[in-house]
Amino acid sequence: MNSGPPPIEVRGLRKVFRQTTTGQSVVAIDRLDLTISPREVVAIVGQTGCGKSTFFDLMIGLEAPTEGFIHIGDKSPHADFDHFRGKIATVFQQDRLLPWRSALDNARLPLELIGLSEEKQRERALTWLTRLGLGRFTNAYPHELSGGMRQRVAIARAFAVEPDILLADEAFGHLDEVTAAELRDTFLKLARECGSTAILITHQLEEAIAVGDRIVVFGQSAKPLADIHVRQWPKTKHKVLREAIQATLQNNRPDPRLTIAPNARSSPRRRGSSKDN
Amino acid sequence: MSLSHEELRETTHGLIFPRQTIVSLLVFAVAWETLSHLAPFLGIPPFAVPSFVRIAKSINTITPIDIVVTLARVIAALIASFVLGLALAMAMYRSDSLDKYLHPMIRLLMAVPVVSWILFAVLWFPGVEFRICFVLVVVCGPVFLVDTLDAMRGVPRELRHMMQSFRPTTWQYFIKLVLPAILPTVFTSWKINISLAIRVVTIAELVGAVTGIGHQLSVAQELFSVADVFAWTLVLVALLFLLEAMVARVEARVLRWRT
Repeated sequence: MNSGPPPIEVRGLRKVFRQTTTGQSVVAIDRLDLTISPREVVAIVGQTGCGKSTFFDLMIGLEAPTEGFIHIGDKSPHADFDHFRGKIATVFQQDRLLPWRSALDNARLPLELIGLSEEKQRERALTWLTRLGLGRFTNAYPHELSGGMRQRVAIARAFAVEPDILLADEAFGHLDEVTAAELRDTFLKLARECGSTAILITHQLEEAIAVGDRIVVFGQSAKPLADIHVRQWPKTKHKVLREAIQATLQNNRPDPRLTIAPNARSSPRRRGSSKDN
Repeated sequence: MSLSHEELRETTHGLIFPRQTIVSLLVFAVAWETLSHLAPFLGIPPFAVPSFVRIAKSINTITPIDIVVTLARVIAALIASFVLGLALAMAMYRSDSLDKYLHPMIRLLMAVPVVSWILFAVLWFPGVEFRICFVLVVVCGPVFLVDTLDAMRGVPRELRHMMQSFRPTTWQYFIKLVLPAILPTVFTSWKINISLAIRVVTIAELVGAVTGIGHQLSVAQELFSVADVFAWTLVLVALLFLLEAMVARVEARVLRWRT
């Protein structure tokens, strides 16, 4: 990391899909505004189908927004796709390791893509695997590792490039609670050490509260219902916070116990022009 | 330490298969040899069912150069078919419109019988080697193409998504994800095509070739020598097993991660 990660600006973001069977349009994200500061750890929570994963894909740059834009610094992750090689890394719900590669070779995959020398690839991948407690399993193939170990390799793969932006989509959701909690802590610790901005998509409120500096609660079509700065909530009040988020999700409107932060609100209809389009 | 029931089953299973194979081959050999001795009494011409002594004499007369020529034709044509099939599969994988135009043509090519291709080759091309290569490529190429294209499309969406998220170049995406992912299918396709090519090359060599196993089979047919046909057929089968064993060995080495 040299100058640190750039801020993330999301303005008037809209994503509409056309259903192949019915031909009907589905609004996955409807005019989302969001600002994420450098090195912030933001948890995005919402119910299934609220547009969390679409937002994740738009953040990666694999999908183009229908309207609006995402800017990381002054670049778009979609329009300036190659610019972010080695700068954005992802951890998915399933480990998504390549079965024909050993743990070491999986961890060094993104380093190969950015053209690092063979020696540095090996050295850095080995360092990260060791930090994640897999120093003795570098030559093991994914099928020889447990679910938790595979997810550790996936995390090592993401951290190996020392990215500006870390994106995690339900990264710990399929693991047992003990392993998930342990990996969450490791992830958070490493993200802070790395100085990366981290965005975690999750439907688990405990996870969001445990990890996030901020929690953005998505309603239908990724409408931000609440933007919570977790540090403003003492640990003794986390139970209340959890219940308030739960109520917000259930009623699809902000619970009175939460206040919406000014930098996370639904934008007015038809706002500004899109730089991405 | 005594063996468990499962271990015992596995140990004996390894012995049962070859024993059964040996028994079935022995039964066939005894039946053939008996028939060759009884042929005159059954009204069958003696040359139709030669004894193993006669077949062994034919094997002694086998010319290695014909084996080498046929083998070279098969290997060269398989490599050409694979390169062509893989290149077209990559192009069709990248371009939907190219796929839509080429797919019906590929299906059409695959529906044409081998004999028709041989006749076309004889009518179109004067050179024997080119004719044989053409027939082999036009028969094996589409198999490679369809198999590899299906395998490319079968690369799990999750892995494609993961790979794309790390922003590879097109070449990196192919070399680091698609190619390793399709390798198991590629090996299967090679094994199918070796068997296909061995059979097709023989038929192609029957027409106009002056060397190769197919040509020798044609000579044996003209001489009414069943022993020679038997001997050359054994060579073809051995060749097929040898090539398949070689591919299987490479496959086991390359795909060792699966074990």
